[in-house]
Amino acid sequence: MIKRLLIANRGEIAVRIIRACREMDIESVAVYSAADNAAPHVTQADRAVAIGAAPASDSYLSIPRLIDAAKRSGADAVHPGYGFLSENAAFAQACADAGLVFVGPPSVVIRQMGSKIEARRVVQAAGVPIVPGETPDDQSDAGLRRAIERLGAPALVKASAGGGGKGMRRVQDARDAVDAIQSSRREAEAAFGDGTLYVERLVEQPHHVEVQVFGDAHEHTLHLFERECSVQRRHQKVIEESPSPILTDRLRARMADAAVRAARAVRYQNAGTIEFLVDLSTGGGDNAPFYFLEMNTRLQVEHPVTEQVTGLDLVRAQLLVASGEPLPWTQDSVHQRGHAIEARVYAEDPSSGFLPQAGPLLLYREPRLPGIRIDSGVVEGGEISVHYDPMIAKVIASAENRDLAIRRLTSALRAFPILGVRTNVPFLLRVLDHPRFLDGTMDTGFLDREGSSLAEPPRDIPEFIRAVVAYHNAQPAAQAAASGRLTAASWDPWNG
Amino acid sequence: MERIERIAAGTYAVNIDGRRQRVYVAGPSSNAWVFWNGHVYRGDFSKASSREARGRGSVGQARQVLTAPMPATVIKMLVSPGQQVRKGDTVVVLEAMKMELPIRALADATVAVVHFRDGELVQADAPLVEFEE
Repeated sequence: MIKRLLIANRGEIAVRIIRACREMDIESVAVYSAADNAAPHVTQADRAVAIGAAPASDSYLSIPRLIDAAKRSGADAVHPGYGFLSENAAFAQACADAGLVFVGPPSVVIRQMGSKIEARRVVQAAGVPIVPGETPDDQSDAGLRRAIERLGAPALVKASAGGGGKGMRRVQDARDAVDAIQSSRREAEAAFGDGTLYVERLVEQPHHVEVQVFGDAHEHTLHLFERECSVQRRHQKVIEESPSPILTDRLRARMADAAVRAARAVRYQNAGTIEFLVDLSTGGGDNAPFYFLEMNTRLQVEHPVTEQVTGLDLVRAQLLVASGEPLPWTQDSVHQRGHAIEARVYAEDPSSGFLPQAGPLLLYREPRLPGIRIDSGVVEGGEISVHYDPMIAKVIASAENRDLAIRRLTSALRAFPILGVRTNVPFLLRVLDHPRFLDGTMDTGFLDREGSSLAEPPRDIPEFIRAVVAYHNAQPAAQAAASGRLTAASWDPWNG
Repeated sequence: MERIERIAAGTYAVNIDGRRQRVYVAGPSSNAWVFWNGHVYRGDFSKASSREARGRGSVGQARQVLTAPMPATVIKMLVSPGQQVRKGDTVVVLEAMKMELPIRALADATVAVVHFRDGELVQADAPLVEFEE
């Protein structure tokens, strides 16, 4: 069993992993950059090692510094969390080479699933549906147009060599494809030095539904049901829930089965997620088409949603599996109960293009409410740094059904004051109250289409708010904070 | 009469439309942050209350002025010209939003001018009482 675990991450996920270590009597070792000296993950870990300057490239993304920190602290294992180096095959290999247990799949599997083309090939061979598409041998305009005709429009033309939407063009009708093909080719050549194009059928207004899978070194592979993650802004998930409101039992079973087949095809070990697009354009139901999108070879940000509906501890299972133990569950022993929904609270300003915000947390009070779990890695008086992801906290509500879980999450967000930086809380509350969200029909384009209509419009400041501010500034602490400046009106709290 | 009640640092309870609500405040009034029921307000809340007084009082001149922080009704003017007050004495009680707002003297001083009588309406920023040291 792992004895001392280095956590190669920061923030809420590092705190989450420390909690699991404590419960399992594993010593936790935090690492921190110069910007995180006093961060909660540093103060809560059993020990902490400084690894470099604030920029992530000098600290949380530096493989040599992390391996060195692990050796210096006597750790025997490394948990990468999510983000940073969690899906970096070279880091997993560097850990293995240094004799450290990497809490995740083997580096070869990370590399295999990290390549879109290879991942598609492997899962397709295992009988998992992928979005129909091809890289035609005939790369001429006419050859690409014929490929689109074979697939059926609407279709996407994109660079075969890369991602990030570079060179991506939508083709509504194969007859009008030539302009899209030529401009896509020019952009692909400019971005990747390779004008080879790939054509793919366009799934219109899809839902993003992913299945949590888990494998161990003893040939056990199972799934922990799905998460619906269609509420996303530019591919950044904002709200996640389980169960998905659009799956029938039959469709859920088909997708779970496909996810397990994909994981088995690569002899997957540890926690992973198979992401699918679900196409409801043919009417949905048991036989709705779904397609493999990609596999995430790590713990997901939204794993608490699965933990809440299954009652299981995914991080504990990760540590057991990494230690060579068998999975602590069987497929028949896991169940999906009630409903859980997570909102990601970000330091960002929805009224100015969701610009990330940095600044001090002047006031930060997490509500303590039944059915509410908050995973965070910040404290009042701390700082949201410009150097890292602006996520402040995840608020997860659990209840017996979706409507009650949404109500519970709404009340929790209304009771979660964060002052000193702008956050997306007012925006989240408007999303949670939107008819398309409430009826569960929001597809992956929902947030980007609604856009600024979900940002809170400017509001007049109510008089009672002014009264409370005036009262607040008459308090001794506030007066001291105002550094002796003369305040004309003093509200006497004890003499009303 | 409703009152603002301090619950904890930066945390206040206030009755709004008959329901008890929490309001959170941080920062100086010139750049205050307020959270109420999922809404965030941010801005300079000092304009309506301290501009004039800061201009006159902070340079050690003889005369200081207390001004109204918001539109309100004068419930009780407790001082008259020539009267001595001690720092912290309540000199006038205002009412706004069904809340009673006592206003205290900032220093030991003598009342020079009283601008309002009981029952009168005052606008934000209006001088209420002027003092000489």
